[in-house]
Formats: sequence, structure tokens, C-alpha cells
Amino acid sequence: MEQAVIYLKIIFAAVFVQNFVLSKFLGLCPFIGVSKKRSSAIGMGLAVIFVMTLASAATMLIYQYLLKPFKMEFYLDIVSFIVVIAALVQFVELAMRKLAPALYKALGIYLPLITTNCAVLGVTQLNLEFAKLNGITLTDCLLRSIVNGVFAGVGFTLALVLMAGIRERLESSPVPECMQGVPIAFIAAACMALAFFGFAGIA
Amino acid sequence: MAFLKTFKGGVHPPDHKQLSKDAAITEAMVPELLTVPMAQHIGKPAQPVVKVTDEVKRGQVIGESQGFVSANVHSPVSGKVKRITECNTPLGTKTQAILIENDGQDTWAEGCNVESNPENLTPKEIRSRIADAGIVGMGGATFPTHVKLSPPEGKTIDTVLLNGVECEPYLTSDYRLMLESPDTIVKGLQLVMRAVNCNNGYIGVEANKPDAFKIMEKTCKELSSSDARLAAVMLEVKYPQGGEKQLIEAVLNREVPSGRLPMDIGALVQNVGSSHAIYQACYLNRPLTERIVAVTGEAVAEPANLLARIGTPIGDLLRHCRFDEEKAVKLICGGPMMGLAHFDLEMPVNKGMSGLLALTDASDWDFRHCIRCGRCVDGCAAHLLPSELSIIGESGRFLDAEEANVMDCIECGACTYVCPARRPIVQWIKLAKQEIMKERLRKAEQAKAV
Amino acid sequence: MDWKALSIALGSMAGIGAVLGIVLAWGSKRFFVKVDERVEQVEAILPGVNCGACGFPGCSGYAEAIVTSEATMTLCSPGGAECAHDIARIMGAEVEAVEPKYALTACQGGNVPNRFDYSGVHDCRAAVVPGMGGGIKHCTYGCIGYGTCARACPFGAITMNDKQMPVIDEEKCTGCGRCVEVCPRDLNRIDRESRTVFVLCTSHDKGAVTNKICDHGCIACKKCEQECPFDAIHVIDNLAVIDYEKCKLCGKCVDVCPKGVIVNLRKERRARKQARETAAKEATT
Repeated sequence: MEQAVIYLKIIFAAVFVQNFVLSKFLGLCPFIGVSKKRSSAIGMGLAVIFVMTLASAATMLIYQYLLKPFKMEFYLDIVSFIVVIAALVQFVELAMRKLAPALYKALGIYLPLITTNCAVLGVTQLNLEFAKLNGITLTDCLLRSIVNGVFAGVGFTLALVLMAGIRERLESSPVPECMQGVPIAFIAAACMALAFFGFAGIA
Repeated sequence: MAFLKTFKGGVHPPDHKQLSKDAAITEAMVPELLTVPMAQHIGKPAQPVVKVTDEVKRGQVIGESQGFVSANVHSPVSGKVKRITECNTPLGTKTQAILIENDGQDTWAEGCNVESNPENLTPKEIRSRIADAGIVGMGGATFPTHVKLSPPEGKTIDTVLLNGVECEPYLTSDYRLMLESPDTIVKGLQLVMRAVNCNNGYIGVEANKPDAFKIMEKTCKELSSSDARLAAVMLEVKYPQGGEKQLIEAVLNREVPSGRLPMDIGALVQNVGSSHAIYQACYLNRPLTERIVAVTGEAVAEPANLLARIGTPIGDLLRHCRFDEEKAVKLICGGPMMGLAHFDLEMPVNKGMSGLLALTDASDWDFRHCIRCGRCVDGCAAHLLPSELSIIGESGRFLDAEEANVMDCIECGACTYVCPARRPIVQWIKLAKQEIMKERLRKAEQAKAV
Repeated sequence: MDWKALSIALGSMAGIGAVLGIVLAWGSKRFFVKVDERVEQVEAILPGVNCGACGFPGCSGYAEAIVTSEATMTLCSPGGAECAHDIARIMGAEVEAVEPKYALTACQGGNVPNRFDYSGVHDCRAAVVPGMGGGIKHCTYGCIGYGTCARACPFGAITMNDKQMPVIDEEKCTGCGRCVEVCPRDLNRIDRESRTVFVLCTSHDKGAVTNKICDHGCIACKKCEQECPFDAIHVIDNLAVIDYEKCKLCGKCVDVCPKGVIVNLRKERRARKQARETAAKEATT
């Protein structure tokens, strides 16, 4: 029961309270770049969920089995994480292209975009918080970081799809010329971020 | 007071019915020259089967129905065919028309205007009588009635609804008909019920016509029997209560699913005028050659409900009611909400023209941006987002409107009526629908070519 | 200095790098997929306006169709001859020169009176939705004048003049055909540069009717038909129609037309062509 509550908390925090885009301001590049159409926003979101999950698992393993035993966890984490994530995504892209062309068509074009995305690196960094908790087992730690990774991705997707919906409507709205395109999108994003701050009280 | 039955959404325009509601139905003068359009219905136009200088009798078929979704056209008078030409129609299109010179005799064609007893007619025979008589939806939609009465196999109709709502402002033709000839309406309803083999019949009347409701209720009670249960239903006064899907939602509490027809949920809606015409076709062998037109509006001195022959120029009717050409700024065929504005006084009356309005006040359309007040969303009877559709239309991305379910719009005009920014929402919607249909046609052709 | 920590860090990073590198190298061999790089090259050459004149969904669709040889190389009319040549170079084939194409509006306005007031959406397509009256002008064949074509033109080649008639700037026009698609009256057409004689009217109204309502409408007088030495122009259903199979572009019909319906654009086009050629010459020298 207690475990379930902890996981629920992680999920809720990852999706709403600590939403990567709207309250941590990570991953703004794809947030603005790929939010023009709902279909591509969903594709991008799925790709991010996928990569975050893989990255969470892989980096946590590296941390537990390589960095921690050799006492490098205080200075080598970011460097090694970037390398691992980038290589992992590249490899998955290669394999997907060959083995699942349909999936590649849907996600493939977005994968290179997020190989070294700050949101992905961010989630791995945040996962380290779990490892530093006292008295936590290894599997627990791994499981929590994977859950956090999945739902951080879900939160990102949520923000992206909402934004895409707004921008599709902005497209046909009479926006003053100087504000057309990205400027009005940023204003809309700011309003959305304000709205998401409402969740901060729940935590 | 108990809550009256109704649908979700809708608006309350002022009804202006007092202008013509007390004017009993009178026969309009039959003009010297009648222009009978070949396209008075939705579907393929009829094909003329008479030649210039041919003698025709009243009720004679002069335009033959082409294919299933089409309707016969009959001569409204006896006389001579003068010319075959083109004319504007109240549907807003140009079509072939037969000009008939009236000889003033009004002799009926053979077999027409003979009383007969339809007791022994089979459903199929009733349908073919209706098809032969060229009856179409007389509320304004002009959809051929026999098509509606022939549901494809596997679909059964359990309830027939008669539409005596007349929710459009100004119009009073159905109201007068209900007051003056209730038993023909109900007998017509019984015929429809027999044609589709069902036992339940309702007549929906809005609460602002209590006298019509009372008289329909009484007639229903008299003529109701155990295998044909009839009842009149009083409905809340709201526009578009008389929309087919809205009437079904109000009376039966069933919703027609998106992209489907009323017959998919076992309902059939007929206008009271069509029902009257069905009575005439089956009991009197009279094809549809005349209809009641409410000639009203502020620019008409003597508003009236005229029984006019099909093919009478609208100018004649307006002059009959002493209309002031100087005062009138807008002529509308049909009701003010859905009716179409016209400019041609020579345009003939067709089977679907329920009203003829000469208005003195035409709002200018200096429209602004959508302010997202949401009044159109509250008013939409089809549960769409008219604001969004108008914005899509304004930006010219018509094909995106399909995703917003623009094809389910019934074009009732409630959204445009309530819009404080005076946006011509329905026109955008009509345009988007037209472009989507064009695109579908193009795609179908492409698919055929491949 | 902590040499031990440094060497562990260096060693482990190098190790990770080496392992991942080997894995990726093996992966790229193992999962190799052949792609035709010409698609990208061709797409880079195409103008990228996605006008659809070629009949494919956007420039990338056309590029793919070219490489898979589903389509010929000369379909891109915004890109014109230059574009076709560049594509041909990539594809390793030679193409014949593409003649420029221009749009033309087959109506000159001609002071047609109005039938009624219109206060709806100012879009030609909206004006012809059944029930909207079909344009305020008395002629039901001619230009409605709400500038739908001008708004649809992706190159800004169409402007509306003060008589609410579209004016096509042939310098900017690429013959993509968007204006042809959107015109509800089917007035715009795309034709080769060298074809210079046109009947600029589409009215099938009877001559007397047209004469009454329009200064520049075909009244079916048949003077052009009599004048033509090649039997190439005929009045069909109250409208002069040129049979380009027979027409030699002599321009005699232009001179006899009493209403100025038939035009010859040869002079203007020749002047512009010369200017273009000299400019090209200067650019190369």
C-alpha cells in the first residue's frame, strides 16, 4: 500500500506538478519546434516517452554498477549519461529502421532530435535523487526511475499535445503581424505554464 | 407547469407570426403565364416530356422523374406550352423551366381529381401513388417523399413524426393548414404509417400555437385506433425545433448519430403540408400542383396565407398582398432563418416555398473577429462548435472543417442569429461543405482513375 | 593529485566509449537499409512551395515520384526549365526545354451592372454557394471579383485592380494552377507562353443579352469566324471558341472583334522574353 502511494506520488509529480516543459522549462526546443500539428506532436511525445524510459533504465544501471562502486558519481554522471543516451538512441533508431519500418516512419524522424535532449538528461539526473535515498533497495530504485521516466515523458507529451492544439487554432486566428508564429506561441506557452503552477500547491 | 419536451441548444428569435396568423387560407389568382421549374426537389431535375405548343391539362405530367432520388413535375393549370427556357429557382439555382400559357379552364387531366378510397392500397401502392404525384418535403427541404418512405432492407421504421412545429419566425402556412384542415393531415399521416408499416404516429406542435395543438389533439383522438396510435405532442417554443433531427430528439429522446439518417434510429419525419399533399394524392388523385405560401413581412400591407399554384411568379403573390416595393429591402423565400434571399420577382413558386417575406430591415454584415463568447455553441442544435467552424472558414482551410464535423451541420442559422460579432457563420459552413464535397468527388475520381 | 581516481575515470569513459562505438558499428552493418539519396537531392532543388501543380502531395512527394520514375521531370511549373535541368542532371538524363506557362483570366469585367446588394463573405466561392445569388454582377459567367484567386496565389502574382478584376503579373506567375482550382467560374486557365491569342469571355448568354450588360462580352456576331483564314475560330453556343489545332495566331480575329473580346499578347510577351534573354546573357558573361 505504502509502495503504491509512493508510485502514485511519483506519477502525479512527473506528469503535473513537476511537468518538464511547463514547470522545469526543459525540452523547450522540441516543445516549440514540433508543436505545430497534433499528429506530429503525438509522434514526438511517443518518441520522448520511449527514449526517457530507456535512458532512465540504462543510466540507473550505469550509476549503480559503474559510477558508485568507483566513487565517480559526483563528477562523471552527466558526461557518461550523455554518451550512453546518445549511443542508445542511435542504436535503437538503427534497429527500428530495419526491424520495424512502420514504427520508424512514425517515430524515426523525431528520434535524432532527442538524442541529447535536455529533458532526457534532466530526467536521468532527477532519478539520481532516488539512489541517494536511505535504505532503498536496488530494484526499487531502478523501478522508480523507470516509472519516473515513463511519466515524465507522458507529462512532456501532454504539454506538447495541448500546445499543438492551441497552435492549430492560433494558425487560423487573426494575430497581429508582429506576433505571428513563435511569439504568440510563447505567450500561449507562458499562460499554460501559469496554469500548471496551480498544481504546485498539491505537492 | 410541466416542462415541455425539447432538444438541447437552440435560440429564441421573436416570432412575428401575428402578422399573418389570423389570415385564413385564400386562393391566389392564377396568372396568365406560369413558369414551372424542372428542379423543385433535391436530386436529379425532371426531364421535360412535353413540346412547345403542346396542349396540357392540369395534373398532367410535364416533367418526368429521373432516377430514384427525383420527382415528377405536373402542370398546375390547363393550357398550352409556350416555351422551354431557364429560370431562377427558390433553391438558388438556375434550372430548365416550362412556360405554360393558362387557358383559364382548369380542366383536370384524365384520372385526376377523382375521389377514391385508399383503404385497400398496399404499402407499395401508396408509395407509388406518392411518387407519381411528385410529392416532396414541403417544409422547405424538398427531399422526394417516396424516397423517405422506402427504407432500405433491414431498416424498420417504428414511429412517424409529423412536423407541425413551424419554428421559423413569420411563417404561418402550416399553422393555418392545421387549423383549417386537420383531418386531411391526420389521414395523410395514417397513409404514411401504412406505407412504412408502423403503429406509432406523433404530431409535434410548438406551444405558441395552442389552438392548433388542441385541434390536432382532438382529431388524433378521433382517428386513433389500436393498430395506429396517434397523438399530438406539445413542444417548447424554440428554434430550430422543427429540424428533423431536433424533432426526433424532442419527441422520442433519440439522437441521430453523426453522419446517419433518422431512419437509422427507426424514425420518419414528415411535414404537415406533405401529409396534406399525400392525402390529396391518395384520396382525391390530385398530384402536387399547388401549395400554401405565407406572404408576410413588414413591407407587405395585407399579409396572407395564399393557396398558390406552382409556377406562379412571386411578384404576383407579393402584389396580391399589396407589397410596397419602395419599403422592401430584402425578399426571402422560406423563413428568415434558413430561407434564401432573392432578387427576381419573376421567380416561380416551387413545391418547397413555405413563405415569402418582404422585410424592411436587412442587417448589414460588417462582421468582426470571433470573440469566443460561446453563444453559438450554446445555440447549436447539432452540438457543434460554430465558432471554430467560422474561424476555420475565415482562414480558408475548409478541409480542416471536416474534422470538426462540419458535415453534421443542419444549416439552421441559429449560430449566425446569436453572434454578437455578426459573423456570417452559416455561409462559411456552407462553403466549407461545398469544398469538402468537391474534394471527396475529386478523390473518388482519382480512385477510379487508378 | 589523485592519479588513481583520474585513471579510473579516464579508463571507464574510454571503455564505455569503445564498447558503444563497437556496438554502433556492428549495428549499422547489421541493420543497414539502402536509401536513395537522390530523393533528398531532388527535393533540395524543388522550390518547396508545395503548390501541388505537379499533382503530387507536396515537393517531397514529387521528389520521391521522380526518383522511383513514376513521374517525369518537367512537371514542376514554379521551378520551370532551370529546375527540370537540375533534376535531370541528378537523374542522369536530358530533358527538352520547358516552355514557361502563365495564367490568364478569361473575363475583362466590362462594366457589368449589379443585380442586387451582397453582404456576405467576400469570397467568390462563398458567393456561388446555392442560395447566395451567384455573384452580384448581371453576367453569371464572368468574374465575381472578390479576389479568391489573388488570395490563393502562392507567388503574389495576382492583384485585384480598382474595377475588382484580377490582374496577373506574368513576371511572377509560374503557371502552378492554384488560381484555376479555386475559381468557381472556371475563368482562369494556364497556357504556354507562345500561345498568345485568346478569347477573354466565357458567357453563353445570347448575344443581345451580353450586348446589354457587358462592354467586353462575346455577342456571337461571328465576325471572327468569317475573318479567320484558317477556319480556326467558331461561335459555339453563343461564344467564340478558338481551335488551337488550326489557329496560326495571325491575330486577324483580334482586329475585327467589335467588343475587344479577343486579345493578342504577342507584343508584350515577346518584349518580356527578350528582356529575360538579355538578362540571362548578361548574367553568364
